[in-house]
Amino acid sequence: MTVFLRELKANRKALIIWSVCMILGVMGGMSKYTAYSSGGASSEVINQMPSTMKALLGFGSFDVTQMSGFFAFLFLYLELATAVYAALLGAGIIAKEERDKTTEFLMVKPMSRSSIITSKFLAAVVNTIILDIVTLVSSIGMVAAYNKGKDISGEVALFILSMFIVQLIFLSLGALLAAFMKNSKASGSLAAGLVLIAYFVSMITSLTDKLNFLNILSPFKYFSYSDIVNGYGLSFIIVILSILLVAAFSASTYFFYRRRDLKV
Amino acid sequence: MSIIEIKNLTKSYGNARGIVDVNLNVEQGEIFGFIGPNGAGKSTAIRTLLGLIYPTSGSAAIFGKSCIEHPEVRKELGYLPSEVFYYDGMRVMDLLKYSDSFYKKDCTNRIKELAEIMDLDLKKKIDDLSFGNKKKVGIVQGLLHEPKLIILDEPTSGLDPLMQQKFFELIALENKKGATVFFSSHILGEVQKMCSRVAFIKEGKIIKLEKMSTLQENSYKRIRIEAKSGITKETFNLGGVSDFEIKGDSANFIFKGNINSILKKIAEIDLRNISIEEPDLEEIFMHYYAKEG
Repeated sequence: MTVFLRELKANRKALIIWSVCMILGVMGGMSKYTAYSSGGASSEVINQMPSTMKALLGFGSFDVTQMSGFFAFLFLYLELATAVYAALLGAGIIAKEERDKTTEFLMVKPMSRSSIITSKFLAAVVNTIILDIVTLVSSIGMVAAYNKGKDISGEVALFILSMFIVQLIFLSLGALLAAFMKNSKASGSLAAGLVLIAYFVSMITSLTDKLNFLNILSPFKYFSYSDIVNGYGLSFIIVILSILLVAAFSASTYFFYRRRDLKV
Repeated sequence: MSIIEIKNLTKSYGNARGIVDVNLNVEQGEIFGFIGPNGAGKSTAIRTLLGLIYPTSGSAAIFGKSCIEHPEVRKELGYLPSEVFYYDGMRVMDLLKYSDSFYKKDCTNRIKELAEIMDLDLKKKIDDLSFGNKKKVGIVQGLLHEPKLIILDEPTSGLDPLMQQKFFELIALENKKGATVFFSSHILGEVQKMCSRVAFIKEGKIIKLEKMSTLQENSYKRIRIEAKSGITKETFNLGGVSDFEIKGDSANFIFKGNINSILKKIAEIDLRNISIEEPDLEEIFMHYYAKEG
């Protein structure tokens, strides 16, 4: 409990900065919607675009002149940002004691390493949920402000739920890297780098159907966003598989951290 | 049961040496000194003992249990690391309360009492403290839960002499109350003042483990003589003489062995003056390191 509270406090500043950034991101992104949806020349430009161009920009198969399609397009960037946050957070909670040289303080307390990691994981999940709630509320608010068609709050909530699961994957991956790497200080940069690589993989596989097997490397492709837009919701099997992946990464984090020679 | 039990403990970092086959027992109520130059492996031994790093082979236990398998045994442990680092932006009191929160007893009064003794301002931010003051935070942090085993790694570095004095009084008091103390140092004077037994470590190996009394009493004498006529080095060419220095008519050396044999030798010389003293630990230490290590 005491580590959990300490961790929440230590991550508070970063969480506030990220929350403000997400609100600004949602506001900035949604303000472009009028340009896409107003019809006339700009819609024409989008319709005339070659499909590869659309895929690279993240439109893919979405109809960005409709609110649900536009949000799906904006969502990819929100998801990328929050995934970077989650990866950095996951690596940070594990690596920070060695980075700040506080291992000789914390790790000689009458507590097992596993219970310390559990507290840290819980605190990180709470942080992630807070950031997601901020993103959800600002998204629903901004969508409502610009939307002239039917209400899509339900879809937005599903988008954010899928984002949370993707974040958990990167959070546990970041933690695993920090627990496994000898130089855990570098784990944050590596984890963020892997997020970007996963993002580029998802861009590339959007270009052609032939590379779909690569999608397994990119959590950004685990959930079908056109299914959400079309009202089919999240695939239950994918949710289960993602959670199993998170469990595997977390279990490995415990495994490696318990055996680690802590640097001081 | 020994409070600290280290058996055949070896820790190597890849090819680099850490410690090799260390054996140690520290008994209830002892003040045990762990002496060696920087880089000898003192901190490695302590960190393995506390479960921060894993032994390559052998075992280390406090209160009969390994800290890795039974982390809860550390509730009776107070540890002062050689360099203290704490969380950014915390005030001294916050840090001490955080530390306290791991021990399931309220030590607020004890914190205030210790801070008073060590002259530590609890309201200051830790980032703003000098090295010596950070060390004081470490001392209070290590003692606030009244541990039964106190492990100190180079405790006095950074403390001014007055604070060192207070610190040693504090440790002596804890020891009187029943705490076992294990403390490492490269400064021999401070070990000499306090410890009942001492282990010497050099290049990862324990080269000597002795009672402080045996170390100081019989075996070593610092002898200075002044003769009426010249002394030659050959006169003292016998076993046990080391650090031999000759200056005109006077000689100066450390002797280890049967005191009678050296006195017979000296009796052959027509003396003007003689002094026989207990050598300080530093001299014994140098002597050992030069020869046996």
